[in-house]
Amino acid sequence: MMLRLTFWLALALYGAVYAALRLAIHPPIPASVLTIYMLLTAIAILVFVSADERRFTQFIAPLAAVFEGRAPRAARIAVLAVIPLAAAWATYVRVAPSADAPFELRVIHPEPPSSLSVHGRRVEIAGLQNPLRAKGSELDKPIREGKTIYYQNCFFCHGDALAGDGHFAQAFRPIPANFRDVGTISMLQESYVFWRVATGGAGLPKSATPWNSAMPVWQDFLTEEEIWKAILYIYAGSGSTPRTWDDEVKHDKH
Amino acid sequence: MTSISRALLALALASAAGAPRAADPNLKTEPVKATPVTEDSSAGKALYARYCTQCHGDEGKGDGPAADFVYPRPRDFTLALYKVRSTPSGQLPTDHDLFNVISEGLPGTSMPAWNKYLSENERWQLVHYVKTFDTLGLFKDEAPKQRIAVGSPPQMTPELIVRGKELYRSKKCWECHGKDGRGDGEKADTQKDDWGFPIRPVNFTKSWRFRAGDRVEDIYRTFTTGFNGTPMPSFVDAIPAAEDRWALAAFVKSLSRPQKTGQVLRARAVETEIPSDPWARQWEEIDYLDFPLAGQIIVKPRWFKPGHDVITARALYSAQEVAILLEWDDGTHNRGERGKPADQVALQFPAEKVTADEKPYFILGNAKRPVDYWFWNAADGLRRFTAEGAQKLAPRDAGSLSAKGEYRDGQYRVILRRPRKAASEHEVEFEPGRFVPVAFHLWDGEQGEEGLKMAISSWYYLLLEPPVPSTVYLWPLLAGCFAFGGELWFMRRLRRRREVRV
Repeated sequence: MMLRLTFWLALALYGAVYAALRLAIHPPIPASVLTIYMLLTAIAILVFVSADERRFTQFIAPLAAVFEGRAPRAARIAVLAVIPLAAAWATYVRVAPSADAPFELRVIHPEPPSSLSVHGRRVEIAGLQNPLRAKGSELDKPIREGKTIYYQNCFFCHGDALAGDGHFAQAFRPIPANFRDVGTISMLQESYVFWRVATGGAGLPKSATPWNSAMPVWQDFLTEEEIWKAILYIYAGSGSTPRTWDDEVKHDKH
Repeated sequence: MTSISRALLALALASAAGAPRAADPNLKTEPVKATPVTEDSSAGKALYARYCTQCHGDEGKGDGPAADFVYPRPRDFTLALYKVRSTPSGQLPTDHDLFNVISEGLPGTSMPAWNKYLSENERWQLVHYVKTFDTLGLFKDEAPKQRIAVGSPPQMTPELIVRGKELYRSKKCWECHGKDGRGDGEKADTQKDDWGFPIRPVNFTKSWRFRAGDRVEDIYRTFTTGFNGTPMPSFVDAIPAAEDRWALAAFVKSLSRPQKTGQVLRARAVETEIPSDPWARQWEEIDYLDFPLAGQIIVKPRWFKPGHDVITARALYSAQEVAILLEWDDGTHNRGERGKPADQVALQFPAEKVTADEKPYFILGNAKRPVDYWFWNAADGLRRFTAEGAQKLAPRDAGSLSAKGEYRDGQYRVILRRPRKAASEHEVEFEPGRFVPVAFHLWDGEQGEEGLKMAISSWYYLLLEPPVPSTVYLWPLLAGCFAFGGELWFMRRLRRRREVRV
């Protein structure tokens, strides 16, 4: 039974893969990448059906029926019409002038420099720790103060719920970082976040399109301690924990 | 406000609220839905401390650390005055009203939709907790029992809209909201809320920012309930017949247009001269794009409460010229008088040949990559600068750049136009098919905006739509014919083979 339906199953599988890639992934993957994935899917399906001769015969049976004139008249006309139309459409999509914005490659988490300048002082990034956390002291007070700093400086873009969706967020591209996302601060060390906050968009390397970044150079507005407090808060408020240098050492050993 | 005057005001409001309303024969009401979740005061308190105090304050007075940095200001819960309700004017909101606002947020404000972040139970705990800030004990004395029955809206016919328009005129909605609904009426500038803070009437053309929603039902409900604590009254007394309020809602709905956003502003080719009148039909006929704006909070002086949050643009090009029409609504026409700066707008382009891999910094460029800054001011018209950073603007000769701007019925329209050919290497060339980075800056003089106190956008693109060559249609036709020919050949071959076999 399954064998007889090979062609239709293959068609359904192809459609399902397309739908999954188009609808289930956010933000949407670029059209060129989608084309590559769909091509690979088509090849994979063809390899699978042609590996077994009986399966292959069943696979081409519906097509053979159409072209040998055995299929019902309506089905024959439909197939004969759809194939040229699809070819014409695919060609049109290729040659029609596009008004999509040029794709701008951007490294989201670029390699940090070895050191950075904060208020004229050089700070080494390797081994840099949040001094407020390092003390091992009580964190409630600095987190509370960090919260005030966050809501007077950061929340307009990074959002009330720290999800990168503040009331100014949609005016900026790239959109502000979502701290609840596991792909942002929870996969970074606090030293990295300190670098990003202290030097802002202007401190990004060229590969990370610094000219588009709306991140201010926070050392122009905040003291070092205030920056560390705000960092404490964005971790606490979003329920994430920073990667630590200890983790790093353990990772290296593995 | 002192605590005594606050209490007095509250008393006055409370007595006003006590006026019997439910008996009004024109007001169809229905019983309020039951509150599904019982109170857990410690849970509500903890949630409030974590998610709400930053704006609404520890004591619910709307005075948290972020309160001064947002417009509109966060709600002060102590007087139990709520705008978005389903209950008659002057009455308390239902628990479901509060729950809906917390869940869906308030469009056009910094109040987010908490349903993304908090469970239903958590949001109900916040409803219960927010009610405890009511210093007058109004919620304790009497919970709302009836809410407005909205029912389903009538058919939106042109006649209904015309009737609504007539009511808009006769009931003087335009006094505040303006002739075309842009929030620019003669009384618009002097309105204050019950706390004494200035408040502006809503702009009906931007329905996506309506606090209580922008479906016709929502607008109808707002007319019927009024917005407590604001100058927006209930219109039940002034417009007693429900059909009339529906007509007005239909008219208000008809004033708004959809918001359209995108990355690329497409300039359409015209055979003739580009019209110089900003209100010319040719401009209306082409598509527009809305560009969201944010306060300039990146370099000093930071500007948190910009007067504008969107600018709209359209573009046309001819054989010689390119022209961009900028449109924005502004309730006040500031020309640098009354001690307030003039309204201004600016377009920003790279000041050098565009390279694919690097753009100037999006706020006024930098020394390495300067920007060409086209600047129009309601007092003295066009000026042009080269900017090498936020503090480094150097005036430059406007050259063949020209501008024409006008203010009419609450809206600015400004056309900026330039020859397509670059006159020097310090300006971009506008060629069909080439993507040119463009950014927008906007100033509202009424809010004291000038210099870096402004609303900004990020980089977008201007694209002169390339003419569509006939090959665009030829190739698909050929491909289609080829495929069809292939099919015929294949069919014939298969049949012949079958005949041979037979």
